Amino acid sequence: MGSELLIEEAPHTKTCTEQFYEVFPFYLSIGMTYDLFWLKDATLVKSFRKAYEMQRERANYDAWLQGAYIYDALCAVSPVLHAFAKKGTKPIPYPKEPYGMTTKNLKQSSEQPAKTEAELREIQALNASAKFASFVTQWNKRFENKGGGVDGGYNRSTTD
Amino acid sequence: MGKSITLTDKRSGKVYTLEFNRKAIETMERQGFVPSEITDKPATMLPMLFRGAFIMHHPTVKRDVVDALYDAIPDKTTLIEKLVDMYSEPILSLIGDSEADEGNVEWGANF
Repeated sequence: MGSELLIEEAPHTKTCTEQFYEVFPFYLSIGMTYDLFWLKDATLVKSFRKAYEMQRERANYDAWLQGAYIYDALCAVSPVLHAFAKKGTKPIPYPKEPYGMTTKNLKQSSEQPAKTEAELREIQALNASAKFASFVTQWNKRFENKGGGVDGGYNRSTTD
Repeated sequence: MGKSITLTDKRSGKVYTLEFNRKAIETMERQGFVPSEITDKPATMLPMLFRGAFIMHHPTVKRDVVDALYDAIPDKTTLIEKLVDMYSEPILSLIGDSEADEGNVEWGANF
């Protein structure tokens, strides 16, 4: 133990050519051509690696953005997905425009009011009705557990 | 931009650009060039290194022309230092700059 450095055998030393052939498939996979890798400026690989990194970051951001849109869509339809949703409940409208990405777009979207008064009132009403439905369900459950029927005991026999 | 040396032959007026690409290194190794043997066999390896620097831009130039240029060059030590630096560039460029590990290991030298 602890003497690996002393007993280690000489490793197989790779030639530069072997190393080049080892990494060549990776550079082909990120868009470098045979000529660019073997015949042109040797430092081009650095730019290709950097470009590949940027591409991966962009793909990651796109995936995140798609997730955000899906989340928004789910939130918008959630009022109608509720089991005790009132008749006539409507989903919240999905954003009319995509999220702003450039600085100009962001400025515009911040200037626009997020939601109109009527939309806000509608959302508040939906939230209130959902809360009330949930409260009624819990209340009924508690009542049933204490011996009351589903109908609140109104149809109970009067003979007992 | 890769490192390169410009060589002017005052007798013929020709200008040569010395540079290494990966194909040149592959060709040199196939011809028997071993970088680690530069110190053991300088008389063989150094002219080979010099000849190899012509492969990228001047593959058709004749060997005796290159050898004559090598013999006529002043300050060979500096030239060889530069050639070694240039030769290592295609290899070093494949090693990624590990930005993520920055700061985890430090090193210093006493020379």
